[in-house]
Amino acid sequence: MKKIIAIAVGALLASGTGAALAQQDAKSLATGVCAACHGPEGHSISPVFPRLAGQQAAYIVLQLDAFRSHARGDPNAQAYMWGMASQLSDATMKALGDYYAAQKPAHEKPEYPDLLAEGKKIYTEGIPVQNVPACASCHGPKAEGAGAFPRLAGQHTDYLVAQLQGFQSGLRSNAPIMLGVVKTLSPEQMKAAATYAASR
Amino acid sequence: MRQGKLGTFIAAFAMAGGGLLLAPGSAQAVPSFARQTGFACEACHTVFPELTPFGRRFKMNAYTVDNLPQVSGMTQSKEQSLALNQLPPLSFMLQASYTSTKAAMPDSVVAGALAQNGQVQFPQQASLFYAGRIAPNLGAFVQMTYDGTAGTFGWDNTDVRYARMANDKFLWGVSVNNNPTVQDLWNTTNAWQSPFDQRSATAPSPGASTLLGGGAADMAGVTLYGSWNDTVYAELGGYRSAPAVGIPLDSTNTNVLNGFAPYWRLAYERQWDRSSWEVGAYGMTAKMFPGGGVALSGPTNKLSDWAIDSQYQYIGDQHLFSVMGTYLKEKQTWDAGGAANPSNDLKTLRVGASYYYQRKYGAALGYFSTTGTPDATLYASGTAVKGFANNLPDSKGWIAELDWVPYQNTKFALQYTMYNKFNGGDANYDGMGRNAKDNNTMYLLGWLNF
Repeated sequence: MKKIIAIAVGALLASGTGAALAQQDAKSLATGVCAACHGPEGHSISPVFPRLAGQQAAYIVLQLDAFRSHARGDPNAQAYMWGMASQLSDATMKALGDYYAAQKPAHEKPEYPDLLAEGKKIYTEGIPVQNVPACASCHGPKAEGAGAFPRLAGQHTDYLVAQLQGFQSGLRSNAPIMLGVVKTLSPEQMKAAATYAASR
Repeated sequence: MRQGKLGTFIAAFAMAGGGLLLAPGSAQAVPSFARQTGFACEACHTVFPELTPFGRRFKMNAYTVDNLPQVSGMTQSKEQSLALNQLPPLSFMLQASYTSTKAAMPDSVVAGALAQNGQVQFPQQASLFYAGRIAPNLGAFVQMTYDGTAGTFGWDNTDVRYARMANDKFLWGVSVNNNPTVQDLWNTTNAWQSPFDQRSATAPSPGASTLLGGGAADMAGVTLYGSWNDTVYAELGGYRSAPAVGIPLDSTNTNVLNGFAPYWRLAYERQWDRSSWEVGAYGMTAKMFPGGGVALSGPTNKLSDWAIDSQYQYIGDQHLFSVMGTYLKEKQTWDAGGAANPSNDLKTLRVGASYYYQRKYGAALGYFSTTGTPDATLYASGTAVKGFANNLPDSKGWIAELDWVPYQNTKFALQYTMYNKFNGGDANYDGMGRNAKDNNTMYLLGWLNF
């Protein structure tokens, strides 16, 4: 608890205290710092901040690394995470990923229930005429994600929509596959797919 | 600010008869916090100086969240003994303004003549800040402000705090500060009030002010606070007179606190979706020796403030909306003299709402009201502009503002204040022919933080 506020964990690690401390401190870091936006155990309140509970560890590490290297540059990533991730070591990132992956995922009600049926179709079958593949093919039938492909189930619907918009506008460009997938999606289709995926 | 150059929302002049100086009212966002944390201003501010829920948490945590390379130290027991930013957390602030009142003010010397209307101030205020982490759990917000008249830098808002988590849910801390409410987390209270945090320094402003509405000056205090789960907040502390003097406080000083003046604060905050809502109460009781030639003993005058406040914020990616207000009731007991009545009431209400589009284009509207017991000594007639012909403290009016924030650290504001009542009256309120509406003020502000 001693270092709970100080995010100088990265500096500590650099001074040679090793990966064991990273593991031990991931929880302090998560509860003392990350929780300010991402909520206790990764259950955030505001859809500006993604829920991290149950997220794929590999995906979290990839994103933290992308924040640190500025490869992910959507407005909120710049405003919050560039600073946050700047002093994190690889070991700390891995420990944070493991910590959040081990938390119980949240449940999200269908945000736009009218679009649920359309969303299911997009998620499971894709939109062949628009060259949109099925989301399920990477994110899994239950939207649980796999490795570098993030969990979508239990995420804030509006956060997912914002990411899809970010991929389409190029604001968030660190996911080459998604940049292709979203090219032809309409705003309505984004909402539909996000509603279905988030409510799994 | 402590030199009394900057007007606060309602408070401006020394409390009539009381001689209390103007308290700090300026409000700043500080780029050194951004440099230290690596967060853009928008992480902690909707639009500066108003705090987001994360900004409140950053402040409560003693300004210690840090993402800079550190000069660090560690004890043999692996406890961090030093965590110093490699660069000092310094910032600079510059404000320039233009003020025009509906009717020109009377000349300060030549009877019957008028002063020039349309006052340029460059700078209106210039400040240097040390704001950031000092040690692992210790941080400070220290403001030095340039006094254009004296040509020197003086001490302004200061909040030094220590904070730590007792467990996952409970945080406690201590703040040492020089202005009650400067340590507060919400923008309803006086020191960092929003949306009208900045007012003209040269336009007339209503003369009656409460202790916690801007009348508390030259004090230093210690408060202990606790927050449970970012939901329930409680704070208790005390203030003592602390003017910059070379000898112990004596009869040459005025309004010297007798012992410690207790200050308390309770608040409940709930967050959901993109919204947060706070409801709270705060208060302070000050017993003061009038001084000013009289020995600091015997009876004291007592100001007892009790206030409620509430704040709602919606923070979306495109649209931001805030509403805040506070109602304050002050009971004054004049056992040591200085007023015509043995006791008086003074009540203030302040509400405001603001909207921003993409944190760039904003508009705000607010209402303010001061009412109280008539008192011929406290609210005396006989002075042009500042006088009270009806011996009433009452002032009421509306205020509107348009804002343009081209960059997160640069703000331009155009503000209009309209008085329905000023120092107890509407027409001829000062007994010298000035009407409340003559003080209606157009104010243009340019504000840079870097």
